[in-house]
Amino acid sequence: MSERSWKSTLGEAIPAPLGEEIDAWEAQIELKKGPGMDDRIFAETRLRRGVYGQRYDNGLRDDGTGQKPLEFPCGDLKKGPDTVFDAPGMQRIKIPYGRITAEQLDVMSDLAEEYSDRILHVTTRQDIQLHFVHVEDTVDMHRRLAACGITTREACGNSVRNVTACQFAGVCNTESFDVTPYADALTQFLLGHPDVQDFGRKFKIAFSGCHGEPCGLVTFHDLGATAVLKDGKRGFQLVVGGGLGAVPVEAKILMDFCPEEELLPVSQAVCRVFARLGEKQSRARARIKFLIQKEGIERFRELVAEERAQLRDDPRWTDFLDTLHGPIENPIRDGGALPEAAPPRFHEWAKTNLRPQVQEGYFVATLTLPLGDISSEQGWLLADLARKYTGDSIRATVEQNLAFRWLSGADAVAFWEALDTMGLAQAGASTINDVTSCPGTDTCKLGISASRGLAGELRKHLTVIRDQLDPAVKPLRIKASGCFNSCGQHHVADLGFLGVSRNVGGRKVPHFNVVLGGQWTENAKSYGMVVGAVPSKNVPQAVELITAKFVADRQEDESFQAFIKRIGKGEVRKLLAPITKPPSYEEDPSYYSDWGDPREYTIGDLGIGECAGEVVPFVEFGIQAAEQQLDQAQDLHDVGEHGKAASQALRSMLTAAQALVRHLGHEVRDEADDIVTLFREHLHDTGLFHDPFAGGKFATYLLKAHAAGDEEFWTGADAEAAHRVIDEARLFVEATHAAYARIGETPQLTPPPAPKASAAAAPAE
Amino acid sequence: MTQTDISRAERVQVKLFASKAAADPHDLVPVFHRWIREAKVPDELLIDVTDYTHVWRGPGILLVGHGVDLYYDLGEDRPGLLFARKRAFEGDLETRLTDALKRALRACADLEEDGLEFSATEVLVRVPDRLHAPNDDDAFTAFVPVLEAAARAVYGAEAVLVIEREEAGTRQPLTARLRVEDAPAVRTLA
Ligand code: SF4
Repeated sequence: MSERSWKSTLGEAIPAPLGEEIDAWEAQIELKKGPGMDDRIFAETRLRRGVYGQRYDNGLRDDGTGQKPLEFPCGDLKKGPDTVFDAPGMQRIKIPYGRITAEQLDVMSDLAEEYSDRILHVTTRQDIQLHFVHVEDTVDMHRRLAACGITTREACGNSVRNVTACQFAGVCNTESFDVTPYADALTQFLLGHPDVQDFGRKFKIAFSGCHGEPCGLVTFHDLGATAVLKDGKRGFQLVVGGGLGAVPVEAKILMDFCPEEELLPVSQAVCRVFARLGEKQSRARARIKFLIQKEGIERFRELVAEERAQLRDDPRWTDFLDTLHGPIENPIRDGGALPEAAPPRFHEWAKTNLRPQVQEGYFVATLTLPLGDISSEQGWLLADLARKYTGDSIRATVEQNLAFRWLSGADAVAFWEALDTMGLAQAGASTINDVTSCPGTDTCKLGISASRGLAGELRKHLTVIRDQLDPAVKPLRIKASGCFNSCGQHHVADLGFLGVSRNVGGRKVPHFNVVLGGQWTENAKSYGMVVGAVPSKNVPQAVELITAKFVADRQEDESFQAFIKRIGKGEVRKLLAPITKPPSYEEDPSYYSDWGDPREYTIGDLGIGECAGEVVPFVEFGIQAAEQQLDQAQDLHDVGEHGKAASQALRSMLTAAQALVRHLGHEVRDEADDIVTLFREHLHDTGLFHDPFAGGKFATYLLKAHAAGDEEFWTGADAEAAHRVIDEARLFVEATHAAYARIGETPQLTPPPAPKASAAAAPAE
Repeated sequence: MTQTDISRAERVQVKLFASKAAADPHDLVPVFHRWIREAKVPDELLIDVTDYTHVWRGPGILLVGHGVDLYYDLGEDRPGLLFARKRAFEGDLETRLTDALKRALRACADLEEDGLEFSATEVLVRVPDRLHAPNDDDAFTAFVPVLEAAARAVYGAEAVLVIEREEAGTRQPLTARLRVEDAPAVRTLA
């Protein structure tokens, strides 16, 4: 008798093309287990199936007493360079525009329970992630997903990532029209398209139904499409080249009005230009925003127009328009008014979690998921709830929640009561206690600080005191990222936190940079300003201090953004000054561990440095001075002195570089040329300054800025250039901290490489 | 569903309930980190600790391993030690279940050294393997003798056992509740 398998059990339920792809994936895994497949090729193949790495998958983990090998049974077998085959990883499940059917929720809950840790995690890009998955289990997972209409193809890797859209699309009273079918058509069109297979980096697309609301967040996407009606005709404003990441960049307008029939071909043309001209060698500069910076938006527009003109007609560009105007979802219950008599807790919940649809008698209910997590058990219960009340109308949101659309007002109390029995009736969706966080050090390989630990702590505390909070404070948003990649979208939060590490007395201390006044509305219109770092354990206190000051000093109806802008960074810094320095290890060792992790804090594979007693190494003074210069640069920028600000930002990089060069024992003068030459020679060319993940990216910020001109030259910078160089300087100074931590207080000097003829000042790109 | 099919089920979970629970589930975080340092679970590579206490009646505190996971589980609003075999074990379902029961008891006994207490009289047993063990009558009928044999291997041939089917819903994995009359202390069985 032949053994049962998911392949034979599901049979034709798996669409043939998906089935073939998954068979190929299975064959590739088998090939990898033999000698036949290159690690790098397998890694990219794996990523394109959404099968991602996870922390410690290099087979090393610091257990609190030092770094120890994790002896997986697979021995030397790898699933990517430095990635052990047996190490648990993450499966990202791509959910186009966040739409989930009840059946899909059931299946994903099954998978979480069987192959993962019984948790489904909603991400800030409307995906679902399952953690601690073995690579060999992914084959059956993919088959079971395919059988309910989900492909994980291109969920990661250098490809078009999940296409996101507002969770209210189609039921919203501010939208121009429903963007769902357009997002769907573009998803299907670009999935596996030959023109999107040769990118140097990932490519993210978002749709929004209107300009004013935040749900689509188009301004920080590689390609953003906002619905626009022009003389009654449907179209989109297209923006390109936005991104959060290390240096947030606002997308630029590509077309003010792209008619609906041109959406797919123009998007295809953008992809082709990106594939053809985008950077391929340097990963750090391979996003489309760098191409647009290089070419300029005018030239980029021309390139796209030329590319569009050359495209051969494709019926898929417009086929979907024929079926466009029918309903995407149908309610399964009659609409009705909300009942007047309901428990007070229901009313409290309804205020923040229930939003009327444009369709009379229906509402969107938002479920506030703590840290974006639900258990398999909750997943099954929610799928049943959808079947009973709303049909297949669930949408994952970019704030890591689930929205149930088409809830009849008449059913709202019963729905809420059902949520209450499964622990999901918490009020406060999209308010201060609904804290968003990326995975951070919990599972992400790049995490520097425990963003989830912090978010959990803040959420717990703020939920308890929510009722006592001032009405002006309740609607504020908090978001945390574990590192500069900004997956927690902290740049666009009222209060954002970005994980960084600091050296204190020879030990490393987890910190978060405080980023204030980002704007979530108008599609995340502006990014917050970095105020400075506070120890992780003091972040809750920082939140209290900042919100209390906002309540006390706010002028009439002043928004938080306006308030922060008015009082300025200096004032906030003064406010936070008493909590920016952690106590010594001897006074309070808890500061030297991160939230939810009792191990002494380390970054990456670093061991704990030898404590140098009370003596502060000279290099630390230098880095501190660089930080002060950087703060001054930001202050100058805030008051409109852009040229001076840019010049000061360059100075801060030079100061930091000089400190590190000196730390290595080299004579270095104060002149910029001397600093840069020696920095290049001893830190850049040797790789000492290189970030383990970003490589030489941060070093190039100094080399580039210096190559462009001296401090005098930079006094002519405009606002945008100044903003960029300040952001880059901040990352450079961060990288100096990290390099110093890696080098240690007593550097092992190695002879520098022979000087090169061109060792002067050209950027090392 | 046949005996052969169900015996191929790879993943099993057993949960023993705490009779004296941790004052705060977070107390288990440093304990599990210590277990990693001390390689406390024999023949198992322990990897990391994860906190899911924010999830309602969820996995609680998770100690992730390569072949098995251990949870200080908060399901049913009754804390307990949940042992999950997920991969890397030869043999049939009965062997896997016997091993899981023994290891769960061992882990409970170890946690008792940290002040918790567990009862061995009630065990929740799940087979989260919908391919080989769908949650239906046939599979349950095939499962009962397998579970009974595993329980007798751990509790003794004379133990008085009751095996009940959990009817929580069709999406749930095949689940049974094993009750053992006058079961000895976990330390005795471990
Ligand atoms: S922001 Fe950094 S730590 Fe957080 S998920 Fe992204 S890469 Fe990982």
